[in-house]
Amino acid sequence: MSHTRIAILRGFEFREKNTIIHRLDPRAKAIYTIVMSIITLMFTTPLPLLIIFLASFIVVLLAKVVKEWASTMKCIIILSLFIFVVNYLMAPTDKLNYAISMTMRLITLTSVFSIFFLTTSPEDFSLALLKLGVPYEYTLIFTMALRFIPTLARDLQMIIDAQRSRGLELEKGNVIQRVKKFLPILVPLVVYEIKRSFMVAEALEARAFGAIETRTYFYEIKMKPLDWILSTLLIMLLTLIVFLYLTNMLPK
Amino acid sequence: MLAIEVKGLYFYYTKDEYVLKDITLEIEEGESVAIMGSNGAGKTTLIKHFNGLLKPVKGYVKVLGRDTRKHTVAELSRLIGIVFQNPDHQLFAETVEKEVEFALRNFNFPESEIKKRTAKILKYFGLGKYREVSPFNLSEGEKKRLTIASVLVYEPEIVVLDEPTIGQDAIQRKRIIEVLKELIKSGKTIIAVTHDVEFATELFKRVVVLSKGRLIADGDIKDVLTNREVLEAANLLPSQVTECAWLLKDLGFPENIITVEELEEHIIKVI
Repeated sequence: MSHTRIAILRGFEFREKNTIIHRLDPRAKAIYTIVMSIITLMFTTPLPLLIIFLASFIVVLLAKVVKEWASTMKCIIILSLFIFVVNYLMAPTDKLNYAISMTMRLITLTSVFSIFFLTTSPEDFSLALLKLGVPYEYTLIFTMALRFIPTLARDLQMIIDAQRSRGLELEKGNVIQRVKKFLPILVPLVVYEIKRSFMVAEALEARAFGAIETRTYFYEIKMKPLDWILSTLLIMLLTLIVFLYLTNMLPK
Repeated sequence: MLAIEVKGLYFYYTKDEYVLKDITLEIEEGESVAIMGSNGAGKTTLIKHFNGLLKPVKGYVKVLGRDTRKHTVAELSRLIGIVFQNPDHQLFAETVEKEVEFALRNFNFPESEIKKRTAKILKYFGLGKYREVSPFNLSEGEKKRLTIASVLVYEPEIVVLDEPTIGQDAIQRKRIIEVLKELIKSGKTIIAVTHDVEFATELFKRVVVLSKGRLIADGDIKDVLTNREVLEAANLLPSQVTECAWLLKDLGFPENIITVEELEEHIIKVI
């Protein structure tokens, strides 16, 4: 059961691969993600959004992460349908076009972000954040959160197994009864994870976390020529589109 | 009737990575069996098949004649109680009493019966004074006993314990052994997953050994736990008694000694 629920997270789980996309500097990839997200949010017609989406798919192919990417995309099908229906009902005019565009936005944004997380290791990501001036404590929180997702899923599964073995039937009863049935699962999970976070904190302190102000790093990241070229091109693209947008030359 | 019948069981979580391979196992009613093996051998995966938490990919598992594929986990759990390793994965209620009542309520026991059984089992496990206390305030040993109590309270025909002695101090361990001894004597089918050779020899006549998902030994504990190949494959050390007998081999000590009494007997003979 929990296996299906965490499937969406699998699409954000990094696996080591040696492709041109994986080798890019995390900052270049972050620029790609940010630029593409901004552009996505500037368009409200299906065609340009479709083009951005297809462009992101080319990146997926280059990074050889089609399977992982597909599993994320599969998970947003229901949400996409929901967004489509709501927007269709709420749109003042041109209902179909508007609903399709809004749905395309979600799909494109998910695709773009999925690419970033699928091809950037948590270590690279936190190094990139550090270079951007985020304090180490905060980047560590992020890396650890990612690291603990599979652990959390395993704990959840063990708790579900233990409570089902004591006769808990999650699938039975009306809505209120069912919500109540999540207590025997949520309580041990929350208590256990809090306990675990204290243990991790103690382990960190035992290894002199925060003992010196300025940390040095074993791995360093470096912008290579390709990273500079890509970043420049992306920023030029963004500038162009923003210019067109401000001068009302963009198809609305 | 067989308490548990496993036939040609294969299982994987992700395709082609078999966790259990061709397991065939029969456990009679009233039998007590230890399941041993190294970490990752598939012991916990195997016991999760006993109440249908996991369903076989190939083969079948029957509990008191019921095929686990055709019954819900709740139906099967009524017959076979499983106590998992870590109390933190199941304790949730506001009070110790409510924790014990949980399974009884799930199985729709009448209110009067719930009160009666809960009071009795808490007393039996020495937890009576904690009736109104939060389970989270108990010591590790008490938590463990509480999880065992919360399963025994509904009197399942078969009781399965996953690593009951792990992390327990000598006194707690002894208490658990005493409870299990009494259960075995009363004719219940008891199965325990364990790494603890001394614990196994003290309670069980039969031991099943798993290694890399396969069943590599099944038989009298005296033979299995004194077999060097099996011990090595299961990452187990022989018990101190056995080791002692092996060292005294030249004096004519047999190799398959596992209990202190046997060893004593032979020492007296030699003297």
